[in-house]
Amino acid sequence: MTRKAEGFTILLASALAAFGVTLVNFANSGTLDAQSALTFLVFAIAFGALFVATQTWAPRASSLLIAPVAALTAIGFLEIYRLDPARAGLQRWWLLIAAAVAGSVLYLLHLGSTEILRRYRYTILLVSVILLLLPNLPSDWGFPLRGLEVNGSRLWVVFDAGLTPFSLQFQPAELAKLGLVIFVAAYLADHQHALRQAHRQVGPFRLPEPRQLLPLLITWGLSVFILISQRDLGASLLLFASFVLLLYAATGGGGYLVSGGLMTLLAGFAGYYAFDHVQRRVAGWLQPFENFEDAGYQISQGLFALGSGSLSGAGPGLGRPDLIPNAATDFIFAAVGEELGFAGTVAVLALYGLIMAVGLGIAFRSRDTFRKLLAAGLTFVLGVQTFLIIGGVLRLVPLTGITLPFMSYGGSALVGNLVLVAILLRISHEEAK
Amino acid sequence: MPDVILALLRIIFLGLVYLFVWQVARAIGSHLGISLKRERREGTRLLMVRSETQQGTEIEVSDATVLGRSSEADVLLDDPYASEFHMRLLAQENGLVLHDLGSTNGTYVNGRRVTAPTTLRRGDSVQVGKTVMEVR
Repeated sequence: MTRKAEGFTILLASALAAFGVTLVNFANSGTLDAQSALTFLVFAIAFGALFVATQTWAPRASSLLIAPVAALTAIGFLEIYRLDPARAGLQRWWLLIAAAVAGSVLYLLHLGSTEILRRYRYTILLVSVILLLLPNLPSDWGFPLRGLEVNGSRLWVVFDAGLTPFSLQFQPAELAKLGLVIFVAAYLADHQHALRQAHRQVGPFRLPEPRQLLPLLITWGLSVFILISQRDLGASLLLFASFVLLLYAATGGGGYLVSGGLMTLLAGFAGYYAFDHVQRRVAGWLQPFENFEDAGYQISQGLFALGSGSLSGAGPGLGRPDLIPNAATDFIFAAVGEELGFAGTVAVLALYGLIMAVGLGIAFRSRDTFRKLLAAGLTFVLGVQTFLIIGGVLRLVPLTGITLPFMSYGGSALVGNLVLVAILLRISHEEAK
Repeated sequence: MPDVILALLRIIFLGLVYLFVWQVARAIGSHLGISLKRERREGTRLLMVRSETQQGTEIEVSDATVLGRSSEADVLLDDPYASEFHMRLLAQENGLVLHDLGSTNGTYVNGRRVTAPTTLRRGDSVQVGKTVMEVR
């Protein structure tokens, strides 16, 4: 795509968001208000700024990444607006903030290139682990930084210094996952040869040396620890799966996939017998209608929404996705399925597929090992997260309450994912001839 | 009446979404198409047609490639008459460009010693010492 074409598709995505908002308003009240114009403006400014920042600080970056991201954000925003206009107003602010943060990341990487990420890998690891552990802070102490438990999971941090009338809430895991991928990519780039060459033949399998498995075991332990202390099934699975995929990408050893899969099953079974909330999740997954009153309610409502959406959907503002609990965050995909139908969900999947293709394309073309692994790892994180939550909504895998990248309501997720896109853009700039 | 308009607008909205997906997909496809074409393009490979130890070896030049006797070179030339860093091949739009890197015994294209950067065409022969390569 040329610069002009990329700018044009960004405007088209902004128009899509505004058009969707208009349709919702039209369906609900038959009137038009300033919301459509405001939405168009915010999208055009946010993604336009990201586009200009890319042209300025990473001019040779791939021109194929921002447009599909903008389109997904637009479709997600339409459903958020439809479900809760007040939250949509907040999400618009978050979009502007996220674009500003992503632009700043592009500027910082322009000053120091992605090499600074590699150089400060241990600092980044430390910060990420601290971020991950922040929600474990007590909820009732005098310090302005507190942990918060929502829906039985401890994922949130509240910053309330008493200076502002409102408190600031964020999900540190959304940023920590980026830091962990950066660290793992740097670690694997350092030890690639040792990992690739040391093998032990056990029957038909080529297994890595036990010593080389150590990092795998450490992240496994970390993700199990998160699962236990924060009851966050999604983040721990996301972390572990992305890491196993990265190990596979770095070494080409299928043994990692096998052992990673076995370890996931092991942790899953242990978790099933140890925690009642894992049992409830599995019950809701396997028998949603038998557990309709309880664990299966959300999944059942999601399935009803997808089913009633049929081929082309009820139309924006004309379905009842508000019946699904947490429709704007975990179940945004079901809301899209109800109002835009099968056609809408396929378009969403196609856009995710295109983003994965571009991300892996950047990894393939990279010649530097660290940048190659970093691009692959960031793409894996996006892909695994998308798969886990859409698979959960469609009842393919147990439901893990994580957000759908770019589409779900949530400020920290939007900031984290746009920063991820900014790093990918920077890598493609550095690897361009 | 408004129902009809709404239904129409709804279809238009979905149509726009697909228009968008199609446009992005086409852009990505053409991007991949270019790189595939480049790999298959003629005149970017060298086949060793005469060599004591490397006969039949094919050298794929995708960017800048240095050939020489040194193990530091991108492609090893196993020939006692080759210099440590003998020549550099650059893949460009109109074919490979050969630069002799001041080698002791010289590089010969179609039997003529190279003194300036030379663009290679398909079928040209490149000789270093006793090794002969053909551009494919």
